[in-house]
Amino acid sequence: MDTIANDFTINIATANGTGSQSANLILLQSLFDMGVPVSGKNLFPSNISGLPTWYIVRLSDEGYQAPGDRTHIQVLVNKATWAEDLAALEPGSVVVWNMDSKMPMDREDVVSYPIPMTKLARSLSPKLAKLVTNIVYVGALAELLGITDEALHKAVAGQFKGKASAIELNTTALELGRNYAKENFTKTDPYVVESREIEQQRFFMEGNEAVALGCIFGGVQLLAWYPITPSSSLAEGIIGWLPRLRTNDEGESTCAVIQAEDELAAAGMILGAGWAGGRGMTATSGPGISLMQEFIGLAYFAEIPSVFWDVNRVGPSTGLPTRTQQSDLAMLYEGSHGDTQHIVIIPGTVEECFEFGWRAFDISERYQTPVFGLSDLDLGMNRWACEGFTYPDVPMDRGKTIREQDVFEAMENFGRYRDLDGDGIPYRTLPGSGMAPILYRGTGHNPDGVYSEKPDDYFALMKRLKDKVNGARDHLPAPLLREEVEGDVGVIYYGSMENTIQEIDDILEATGLKVSQCRVRSLPIHSEVEAFIRRHRMTIVLEINRDGQLWGILRRELPNDIVGQVHSVAYSDGMPPRARIYAEKILETIKEVSQ
Amino acid sequence: MSDKPARAIKLNVINEPKDSYKGGPSSLCPGCGHDQISNVIINAAWENGIKPHRIAKMSGIGCSSKTPAYYLGQSHGFNTVHGRMPSVTTGAYAINKDLLYLGVSGDGDSASIGIGQLIHAIRRNMDMVYIVENNGVYGLTKGQYSATADVGSKKKKGKANETQPIDLCALAINLGCTFVARSFSGSKKQLTSILKAAMSHKGFALIDVISPCVTFNNNDESMRSYQYVKDNEITLHMADYIPHFEPMAEVEVPEGHFTDITLHDGSTIRLETISDNHDPSDSMAALTALHEAEVEKKHVTGLLYFDATKPSLAEDLGLVETPLLDVSDDQLRPSKDILDTINKEFLNQ
Repeated sequence: MDTIANDFTINIATANGTGSQSANLILLQSLFDMGVPVSGKNLFPSNISGLPTWYIVRLSDEGYQAPGDRTHIQVLVNKATWAEDLAALEPGSVVVWNMDSKMPMDREDVVSYPIPMTKLARSLSPKLAKLVTNIVYVGALAELLGITDEALHKAVAGQFKGKASAIELNTTALELGRNYAKENFTKTDPYVVESREIEQQRFFMEGNEAVALGCIFGGVQLLAWYPITPSSSLAEGIIGWLPRLRTNDEGESTCAVIQAEDELAAAGMILGAGWAGGRGMTATSGPGISLMQEFIGLAYFAEIPSVFWDVNRVGPSTGLPTRTQQSDLAMLYEGSHGDTQHIVIIPGTVEECFEFGWRAFDISERYQTPVFGLSDLDLGMNRWACEGFTYPDVPMDRGKTIREQDVFEAMENFGRYRDLDGDGIPYRTLPGSGMAPILYRGTGHNPDGVYSEKPDDYFALMKRLKDKVNGARDHLPAPLLREEVEGDVGVIYYGSMENTIQEIDDILEATGLKVSQCRVRSLPIHSEVEAFIRRHRMTIVLEINRDGQLWGILRRELPNDIVGQVHSVAYSDGMPPRARIYAEKILETIKEVSQ
Repeated sequence: MSDKPARAIKLNVINEPKDSYKGGPSSLCPGCGHDQISNVIINAAWENGIKPHRIAKMSGIGCSSKTPAYYLGQSHGFNTVHGRMPSVTTGAYAINKDLLYLGVSGDGDSASIGIGQLIHAIRRNMDMVYIVENNGVYGLTKGQYSATADVGSKKKKGKANETQPIDLCALAINLGCTFVARSFSGSKKQLTSILKAAMSHKGFALIDVISPCVTFNNNDESMRSYQYVKDNEITLHMADYIPHFEPMAEVEVPEGHFTDITLHDGSTIRLETISDNHDPSDSMAALTALHEAEVEKKHVTGLLYFDATKPSLAEDLGLVETPLLDVSDDQLRPSKDILDTINKEFLNQ
């Protein structure tokens, strides 16, 4: 039988809160340490214990990180989804299943490996049987696929750092699973794991953790937050780093952390911080941003630096709290009532999560306006291979903030909202300084910050704000381009779609279609994006949402003569993007447009 | 030319004239209680010798929240959004804990839309003075009842209010607020002493000031009209403030009973007994006084409750001594070596 090495997907069906996550991470880490390009997706419920969870491990020598089109190996532990998971399998798939579950194995067209997982687990530890069951299937998979003990042991040691008893228990459980498979099965499926030479050292990293570390290196001074999935681990990441990176020998910190009473208060607090001259940030998700709208408008209108990280989950409303989507973009860009326009920066990799983490503060202080970092659950909460973080290449940019009396006195015609440099960005002084005190307000104001309802004042203010934010576009992270010389179709995408685009591209290329790619990394739209569109006959905007939100923004802002050549492919079902779905939709759209 | 010498301008302890503490002209209705409170703020800050630029004026939305434009023109201020001044103040405080945060709010701003933020600022013992200019009605939207309107009270137009009011002082005492006072915009002396004491307090100081709305709620059937409050005020004690820089000057030792309370900056508030001795450290006594006044349809004023023992938000945040605003950028951004080490640790984990 021909073997299939490093090109298959394992789907592990368990129940939430049974400890399966640590078992699955051991599996993932051991494959990673063998040099196998691998990605893991945790499809978890909004629940602490009992509801179904799936963990998808994709092995791909091509480096594909999306979940893939189908399951090749199904691990069945959860009775609740047993029938459904089993029925969904293609003939020839492999099923590793817990024969103690008393559930039927009624498929004869699959390769079946029944394992008495519960019994084996109980034999080791009656008390911890539920937890151990998960490690048993990892041991069995290791035997069936050829994962080395060396890789497993290293992963176990990493997972249970320094906890000798946990390491021993898990190592023994792995052996139980491995030995059972060795003694009872003759391998009849083609799937194997092969070690690969590791050319570039990498480590696993979650996007939220990377943003958190980036914020620390961005000099965050106030984290005000309210817990919400899937952003909590971003805030907790910052809290986790503070003792080591931002605390002196007396245990005193240079960053305040306040768990607010709600998202409104969290937003208010970071505005207070920005107003006082500090670097404040919050981390939330769509529902939190919805609640923060009023303050976002105030930050825009009163020109208060403030950094908001939105780890997008599925909306609208409470939506699917533990699933992923790119559906907050339009809300971020035009947040709050009235005419607004906000800077949004959109990382697509964990390295960028770190970089944008620190950069967000510089941009916000430079332009004296709220800055939104847009991540999503897929990027934020799953583990991605990371090459390491690059130290900021520029000093902290504190913007046009006047801190010295002599500098202030040398200024002519100062007004808090007066555009002295012609770039729309005014100068500011800080509370407590005694320099040019004003009463900040969300009401209309003149260049001196004095209340005004005069038509000329309002019009000029709104125009300056527009010019200011528009003026930022080419100073924000530029799009990343991969252009085909002969390609006449361009694809614009953003954020976590980065991790699926290569596979989409390969599927398209297999049909004979070569497309160029442009990954947008910020709003307002960089001028390079328009140039990219002009270089192509047709451009598809690829998004993980229903309505094509970036497409909508482009349609409104691009010059009329090219609007017609930009088309939307938007799709979302809550799952991380699967390449084939998007590739097929791109092909359909091209066909429709070309008719 | 007159031979009369120019009258010496009176200066305070830091040699500032009172003008340094004034603001712009008020645009509120003539006779508004809020304007009297603005004057008290000017006087208290001046007499306390606080550097005007070291005060941060905070407010929400409403008639009361417009007043920061009318006092302390040399202070930065922030007229924020409706009911959410506490959170903005909390964030500013985290960055610059050395300013005196003076919040002014109204009963709509504090008892309705902003009650959650008020509660949580109290819970954190956020270090600020929080004045509620309480008139029982929404003024800027032309006279709807607020959540503090007394049962049986009737404003100028419409029916009498029959909905149970929220007593912000009772609420604050129940929440463990460390400084709770009620006063009346017409009682300038009492209010000034209480406000000065609040400025010397470390922690959350709530001053609920009955401040009649002359336009919508100053009629005979209103329980928050000037006349009604004058006739129905129960004053717990006379209050005198003795600043730390001027021990006992100008204040005569009263003949009867009095209690001195030492404040965080070394100043003293002297409470002179009027009838029954009210002990401000006794929260039950304070709640009883509030309850009895409500039953009798009266307003009790004075320093209701005081607690100097609780840590304020500053201790809770565990920050460096220097206000974060003045921490240098190189202390805020860890070094490249540290990032290199972190990268290595991740690779070798």
